[in-house]
Amino acid sequence: MAWLGSTVLNLFWKPSVNIVRTRYHAEKQRVIKRYGFEEQIWNGGLLPRTSGKPLPMPEYRPANPWSERKALFGQNDYIDILGPGDLHPVKTLYTVPSWIRGVNGNEYQILLRKRKMLGQAGLRQVRPTKWKDLQRRISFLYRKLNRKTKTGPSPI
Amino acid sequence: MTSALISAIKKLHISVVPQIRVYSSNVAAAATSSANNLSITKKDWGFQPQYTKPREVWIENLDTVEEQKLGLFELHPLVFAAPPRIDIINQNVVWQRKIRFVSWAHTKTRAEVRGGGRKPWPQKGLGRARHGSIRSPLFRGGGIAHGPRAGKSHFFMLPFHLRVHGLTTTLSAKLAQDDLHIVKDLELPTDDPEYLNELIEKRNWGPSVLLVDDTDLAPRNIIAASDTMGHINVMPVYGLNVYSMLKHDTLVLTLSAAEKIEERLLHWLHANTTKEQQPFKLSQV
Repeated sequence: MAWLGSTVLNLFWKPSVNIVRTRYHAEKQRVIKRYGFEEQIWNGGLLPRTSGKPLPMPEYRPANPWSERKALFGQNDYIDILGPGDLHPVKTLYTVPSWIRGVNGNEYQILLRKRKMLGQAGLRQVRPTKWKDLQRRISFLYRKLNRKTKTGPSPI
Repeated sequence: MTSALISAIKKLHISVVPQIRVYSSNVAAAATSSANNLSITKKDWGFQPQYTKPREVWIENLDTVEEQKLGLFELHPLVFAAPPRIDIINQNVVWQRKIRFVSWAHTKTRAEVRGGGRKPWPQKGLGRARHGSIRSPLFRGGGIAHGPRAGKSHFFMLPFHLRVHGLTTTLSAKLAQDDLHIVKDLELPTDDPEYLNELIEKRNWGPSVLLVDDTDLAPRNIIAASDTMGHINVMPVYGLNVYSMLKHDTLVLTLSAAEKIEERLLHWLHANTTKEQQPFKLSQV
């Protein structure tokens, strides 16, 4: 009946086992992989510019968002509503050249207006080359619009 | 059954308080009652508010750093309690940017680039491609085909009532967000910028402040104090616009400026505007 006793013993009693380590990870010898091989390819990110001139990056100059032009942007745009009513906001767009102020249209229409207004102001005498280019462009656009393209829908 | 329902509804004690202020004929046009040095102004507008109550605001002062409430002031709900239509505000801002924007980007065509009149090499016999001008768009240094041409205007006029409502809805949004303040006048005791900075800091008015006065000439002290600071600006009433109201954190109106704005906007909200609603013609402005 000895097997019964040992079975009962095995069932109720387990010996405590202590694992004694003789080889520790920290004491392992490292294998130096690819010893003597030098990596020729740069894999550390963007290429550093060590030689020659630095890239022509402009010096950072933060813009002033409260310069007078920006702080007072849009002033007098509602002058016909809030003012006495005799002035239209288009009349106060002083920063826009007069020949294009309050005008909308295609290039041909804008150039015709420019020629009409600046021709009398002496553009022809003061800037003869500009005047010649203007005339050539207008005649080119005239031929293009009238002879080579279909008439678009009327604006009004 | 019906009577039971009616009695149940009656038990709920739903009382309808008329929201409309009824003016009797013996009320003065601008009744100002002063108790505890507090002036309470009840205004009698030419166009009475019909469906909403007037908005009440404190009248503040600028002559001390600490805020003193000088009185109560009424603002017309059509102007200062309009629905917050951010789409209209956006349309107004886009319009303000576009009416003055002209693209000056420019390229020269093959006709405008200097030179290029001579045929660069003979048509045949060289084994090279045929070319007639060294300024053709194919050439380096040649003209640009279909490039931008200077003087591209983006001008358009926003419909008149969209601009009126842009002003009312922006003013209302500013008031609803506690960013609109009414002061008695723009008189400062000193022209020291530090005083103005301290006042704005103390009252939590945000870094940038737009002060609006009724007159063209603001008092000397406020101009001298705000001169060095770009984010504190003074504007006359007719210069007020949607873009500036949005760019500045706080809008400060004087009493007279608020009355003037109210008067102008109420006028246009009730006037016959067939002439203003006509399509824009440059020859007619």
